[in-house]
Amino acid sequence: MTDLVALRSEELRKVYRSKGAPPTEALAGVSLEVRRGERVALLGRNGAGKTTFLKIASTLLRPTSGRIEVFGFDVDETPEKARPYIAVVPQEGKPFFHLTPREQVYTYLRARGLGRENAKARTEDALEKMGLTEVANRLSITLSGGQRQRAMVATVIATEAPLLFLDEPTIGMDPFARRAVWEAIRVLTRHGSTILLTTHYLDEAEALSHRLYVIERGEVLVSGTADDLKRSVGGTVKVLLPGGAARVESFRSFGSCVLDGDALTVIVTPERLGELMELAVRSKLLATVGPVTLEEAFLRVVGRSIDEN
Amino acid sequence: MRTDALAPSTRAFRGLGAFLWTEVLVQAHEELAMATSMLVQAVLLVFVWILAPALIGVALVGAILYSTFTMGQRVLNEAAYVRIDHKANDLYLASPLSPESYFVGMAAGILLVYLPPVVILGLLAAVVIHFTVAQGLLLLALAGVVWLFSASVGYVFSTFFRDNRAIWAYSSLFFNVFGVLPPVFYPFRLFPAALHPVALLMPPSAAAALAQMSLGVTPLTSGDVALAVGGLVAETAAVFLFAIYWARRTVRGP
Repeated sequence: MTDLVALRSEELRKVYRSKGAPPTEALAGVSLEVRRGERVALLGRNGAGKTTFLKIASTLLRPTSGRIEVFGFDVDETPEKARPYIAVVPQEGKPFFHLTPREQVYTYLRARGLGRENAKARTEDALEKMGLTEVANRLSITLSGGQRQRAMVATVIATEAPLLFLDEPTIGMDPFARRAVWEAIRVLTRHGSTILLTTHYLDEAEALSHRLYVIERGEVLVSGTADDLKRSVGGTVKVLLPGGAARVESFRSFGSCVLDGDALTVIVTPERLGELMELAVRSKLLATVGPVTLEEAFLRVVGRSIDEN
Repeated sequence: MRTDALAPSTRAFRGLGAFLWTEVLVQAHEELAMATSMLVQAVLLVFVWILAPALIGVALVGAILYSTFTMGQRVLNEAAYVRIDHKANDLYLASPLSPESYFVGMAAGILLVYLPPVVILGLLAAVVIHFTVAQGLLLLALAGVVWLFSASVGYVFSTFFRDNRAIWAYSSLFFNVFGVLPPVFYPFRLFPAALHPVALLMPPSAAAALAQMSLGVTPLTSGDVALAVGGLVAETAAVFLFAIYWARRTVRGP
């Protein structure tokens, strides 16, 4: 079903070599697939290999081995065929400081080959979506960091390219701006675009992505939906028991336990929640119940991997 | 899926005009840089005017060639700045814009913006020297070749740096040493004879020697002319073609 796949990588490896330093394996055989119209997030710690993957996928870096395709085009063999299908928000990328956001978006679209009228209309639309209309004629050097980042995102979403790579797209943005980006991304996928993003904001990954891949040391640890990841840690409910650390053994049978000072957090299934609460009451412990967050699941999955290594 | 962005991107200079215009807009917003682009030339012209007024024509021709030569320094600085500080090159290179359009568009955009002061120098030279149309066209061609050489060198050099601070020192050293020390601002005949072949193999001084010869200031042997023309054309073609190759090659990292 190749026609339904926007991006596919098979056993993708990347080893960085530099004089005087041992080789660094940034990707150790990453295989993943992103279907058309999907929003997929790559999660991982700093240096896990996310940006390397995005750079290879977006034709900006050659893999050491393995294969990667964008809309059926081999990215390594024929990058020029893949490029019309993609657009990239680079990590820590900044717009030209001596262009206004309006000039930045418009000239970028023109450089991609769009006609004047089309480019103009899309520029205004993207600026409005990113809340940049009021500052559209100010040089980017006079804008705040968040506004500059919005200008970068506006530049890329205006392309309406079939596959967008967003490397930490909302970094430095306020919560309102982040949500504006999320909405713009959702609209793009409703119109058929596909999104592959990296982010360190786990709430963003959860709110935006249909599926996610957790990468650690250049390998995919887990993939699936955010709920899949949360379930993988043994439950979807967490119970915080301040002062419960001393009684950790009594709670171990309910699920995984995490100690933080004298506080104990227990991950439990909804079915066993009542039983756990009864024990907490009998133990004279206060209990706060909430859903397991993606961040907690992520910490657990990656932490387990670190322990195993 | 939108299809308007999906035209084949295999054309070598796809997007050149639009990216050139982008660079023109970027550079045009830096008025002070435009003014300071003539600083060295202006100082040297004043010195020559005071110390050897008879050589002002030669110095004006040299200033024109030096101006187009130092545009390579601007290409170097701009390409490195956009890549290292802004990482905006990724935005453009992972798109249908061709890598060669990125390089040539940046270089040509800088040329367009910094051209007006050079035109003023040309007008001054025309008033002082009274050169013929043929001499003027030759000077124009030489200035163009020197620009192409230095812009290509500048772009290639820009890819070797990871820190802008290092660039400031090296680029300034390179372009000033090769633009000021050899006989660009002063007559070729005043340069030590033993080093004539060296000067004739360096594009700025080779171009200056040819321009001076056409104005009757510097006599050159046919061997000198052959060396200057051959070197200028061969080196510029080689460096430009290498820069095109290198622009494609470095899109995907070192």
